[in-house]
Amino acid sequence: MLIMNNVSRIYRSDTIQTHALRDFSLEVKAGEFVAVTGPSGSGKSTFLNVAGLLDSFDQGEYKLDGVSVHGLQDDELSRLRNEKIGFIFQSYNLIPDYSIFDNIDMPLRYRGFNAAERKRRVDHALEKVGLASRADYLPSQLSGGQQQRVAIARALAGEPKILLADEPTGNLDSLMARQVMELLHNLNQEGTTIIMVTHDPDQAREVSRNIQIIDGQISDFKIYAPLHSDVPKDNTNVKEVLDV
Amino acid sequence: MFSYNLKLALLSFKRAPSLYFLVLLTLSIGVGLLCANLALVNSMAGDPIPEKSDQLFHVSMNTWPNDTPQAEPFHILRYREAMKIMASDIPKNATVFYASNVYARDSQSKSLQRFDSAVRATTPGFFALTKAPFAYGNGFAKSSGMEVVIGDELNKKIFAGKNSVGQTLELDGELLTIVGVLKPWSLRPLFYHATEGRAFNLTDDIYAPLETAIDLGWSIHARSASTVRYKGVQYTRDRDVFYLQAWVELENKNQQQAFQQYLDAYSQTLKDAGEHPLDIRNELRDVNAWLLEQKIVDQKVLAFTLASILFLCVCVFNASSLLLSRFHSAKFEFGLRRAVGASNKQMLMQGLTESVLLGAIAGLISLILSWLFLKLSTEFLPDLANIAVLDSKLLVLGMLLALITSVSSALYPLYRASRYTISAELK
Ligand SMILES: Nc1ncnc2c1ncn2[C@@H]1O[C@H](COP(=O)(O)OP(=O)(O)OP(=O)(O)O)[C@@H](O)[C@H]1O
Ligand SMILES: [Mg+2]
Repeated sequence: MLIMNNVSRIYRSDTIQTHALRDFSLEVKAGEFVAVTGPSGSGKSTFLNVAGLLDSFDQGEYKLDGVSVHGLQDDELSRLRNEKIGFIFQSYNLIPDYSIFDNIDMPLRYRGFNAAERKRRVDHALEKVGLASRADYLPSQLSGGQQQRVAIARALAGEPKILLADEPTGNLDSLMARQVMELLHNLNQEGTTIIMVTHDPDQAREVSRNIQIIDGQISDFKIYAPLHSDVPKDNTNVKEVLDV
Repeated sequence: MFSYNLKLALLSFKRAPSLYFLVLLTLSIGVGLLCANLALVNSMAGDPIPEKSDQLFHVSMNTWPNDTPQAEPFHILRYREAMKIMASDIPKNATVFYASNVYARDSQSKSLQRFDSAVRATTPGFFALTKAPFAYGNGFAKSSGMEVVIGDELNKKIFAGKNSVGQTLELDGELLTIVGVLKPWSLRPLFYHATEGRAFNLTDDIYAPLETAIDLGWSIHARSASTVRYKGVQYTRDRDVFYLQAWVELENKNQQQAFQQYLDAYSQTLKDAGEHPLDIRNELRDVNAWLLEQKIVDQKVLAFTLASILFLCVCVFNASSLLLSRFHSAKFEFGLRRAVGASNKQMLMQGLTESVLLGAIAGLISLILSWLFLKLSTEFLPDLANIAVLDSKLLVLGMLLALITSVSSALYPLYRASRYTISAELK
């Protein structure tokens, strides 16, 4: 489903170069549910952004669902994003003055579906996340957990091959986080490939596969070394150490 | 997709109404002002008879009988030169005329009200040469006869716009029969009489046969010059009185050359006979060359037009910076749409739809504004009344200008938006 070979992503500013990903290699098979953990600033979001074609990479090779994405034009990348990938963000990213329906409908507009097909898909997605009765609400009229479920419905409506979630429960209390996790598990059970960044060791433990990113690379160690001399200060936070 | 983009544009206006109001106002004032100016320039620099402006020639001749007071070819001619021109069979059409003025009333009417009317005392070729549009009847066939053609406005005043062919007008006490009525006829500039600051007068009220007007002594209401005293226009035929203007229609270079030779040969015979001491200089100028020669495009208006072009540029910069801030605040939604699969092209189309819609609205407002500007300027400068006209060409131009300025205001903001990192605003 997703194969990365020695992918590098370097952020350059006037004074410093940040190797957000270095020689990053990973294969995720269809149907997997992968939890990505790691200290703050280690490159987890960068990995998801590159995987989701929101960000480019400097070196290496990346194949998504059999398509090598290197050198693709903006049109083609956009179409891949639209058809194959569903995004779930920590802060939901719903459009505040759009109804729930219109929020979910939005990605479908760029796909050229007719109104009937769009409605069918939106209704179906809303049903899946258990919010069928809220189509006409505004995001602000829903709880955080419900908003995140709307965001999941938006990601699902395009029937993507893979869901990419960046700390989807980061803004939620434990009860709402539970509901969202259950939803994701159900979706995975139904066959959707999911890659999820999380800071919660319990969530990481529940899923089929765990990877840790440290300093832009997948770490073989199950326990973080407390300090890397070459890692910027805020990148290593001993409290983040996980035992998986 | 288009209807979706349209919906998004309207939503965008709704989200930041005051900002878009400012953008609209800025663009409309800029375009409106320029449009008003162009209306003036258009009237002044326009070609009043584009179908054949290069085939109609004004005749100037140098036949002054002594070497004072001037050595330039004269735009007014004596009766004898005028008749010489009319005698030539080279031009397709030719006409000589002078301007006069009479008081007119319907001879059948009980009302004694009389209308001050501008008269063109002319040979019959005038109508074909100027393509005067007839509503009823037609032109008179001969240079003498108690017949007239009247303009639309006078016909409205006296006959309430009805077909008045066959009616009799009392003109300064004489009875003349109407043989033709013109449709509304505007020539901007009034090329056939562009001298003496008349280039933006209306077309005439009454067209009367030249010989008859002379016989009736209808006085000359335009520039004239003479070396002798004379009592009235009826005594001008065989005297050195210069007052007639001449136009000829020459269809090609050969005709032009032939006619030039015709005039020059005539001048030569005068010279040989010792009737004028000056060089032989007869000049034919086509409509546009003649109007250029008369300098009827006001330099002040041109300068003001340049100023309003610069002003429009400032307006575009202004609108552009407003839109830049608008796009900046829409960065999140832009990133989100890109993330879920909108291509840069689709986002560009969305932005363009918005600015085209904005431009269309700005276009409408600017046309209203330029109408107001013109109205206001004729209020202060009544001379502009026949110049300050928004014709259909200008309405289209105004609309186009608004669209172009609106789109160009959005170009830089759109370019900037296309360079946003998609993930930057999405957390
Ligand atoms: N747009 C950018 N420009 C420059 N540097 C960046 C950019 N995005 C990320 N970085 C840097 O790349 C490194 C990896 O960042 P990333 O956001 O991937 O970390 P993360 O693992 O997601 O952290 P967190 O757990 O806090 O979300 C960090 O050092 C960060 O400062
Ligand atoms: Mg992150």
